[in-house]
Amino acid sequence: MSDWDSHPPGEPSVVEVRTSATAALIPTIRAVASDLAARADFDLDAISDLRMAVDEACATLVDVAAPASMLQCTFRVHAEHIEVHAHVHAGSADATVSTDTFGWRVLQTLADHVEALRQDSVVGADHAGPTVGIRLDKHAGMPPR
Amino acid sequence: MLDPTKPRPSPGPGELGVTFEQPDAHHALLVVEGEIDTLTAGSLERALTELLNASAEVLVVDLSAVTFLASSGLAVLIRAAHQAGERRLRLVSTARAVRRPMEITGSDQLFDLYPDRAAALSPEV
Repeated sequence: MSDWDSHPPGEPSVVEVRTSATAALIPTIRAVASDLAARADFDLDAISDLRMAVDEACATLVDVAAPASMLQCTFRVHAEHIEVHAHVHAGSADATVSTDTFGWRVLQTLADHVEALRQDSVVGADHAGPTVGIRLDKHAGMPPR
Repeated sequence: MLDPTKPRPSPGPGELGVTFEQPDAHHALLVVEGEIDTLTAGSLERALTELLNASAEVLVVDLSAVTFLASSGLAVLIRAAHQAGERRLRLVSTARAVRRPMEITGSDQLFDLYPDRAAALSPEV
């Protein structure tokens, strides 16, 4: 019995990982991504792609994160795909996810869908900068033969 | 300078093992172990600079023991390939973690890929 069989059909399993927004913890997050994809029977290329995509997304966000802030990464594991939403509180008011980089082009190639997200800081929040995030979606790939 | 007689522990997260060797006047070899990401791409870049500065005509980077390659690491390898120019960088790896990022970005065209170190160090230039 697979780990996901206990869920009602159509309901994703949700895994949230919250770490200090530092590059040193990205290996942990990408290991979680790889593990989830393997358990969801992703093919080997798709597992590798998701691991790289999550690494890329997290590295991009850690770059703009406010000092001593947190990185939150949410995985929604569906039957045939995994949706990832990662976000940080940015350090400066004009911070944004840069999409004109080599890394972003790689991310677009790795994921089936990817988008940059940005939400201005709400009044009275304990952080000055906006919340910036990346959402991506990866399909399981070809069924194993 | 690394002492090749000392046993090296496997690199942990955030660490990259790099060893530079010149087996003879014609060949320069860089052996890389661990995960190449934003934490370690700088170490790789410094090691590749040393490799490119070698006067050898055959430049080999053995990535057999590399278990992860992020775009930051790939960018460093691509820059080195451009700097190597006509010498062409010979990369050794059969691992999906290395081959896949190169295939999806088309950058595998920039390198000569070999399945093992012996083949990459073969005398044909």
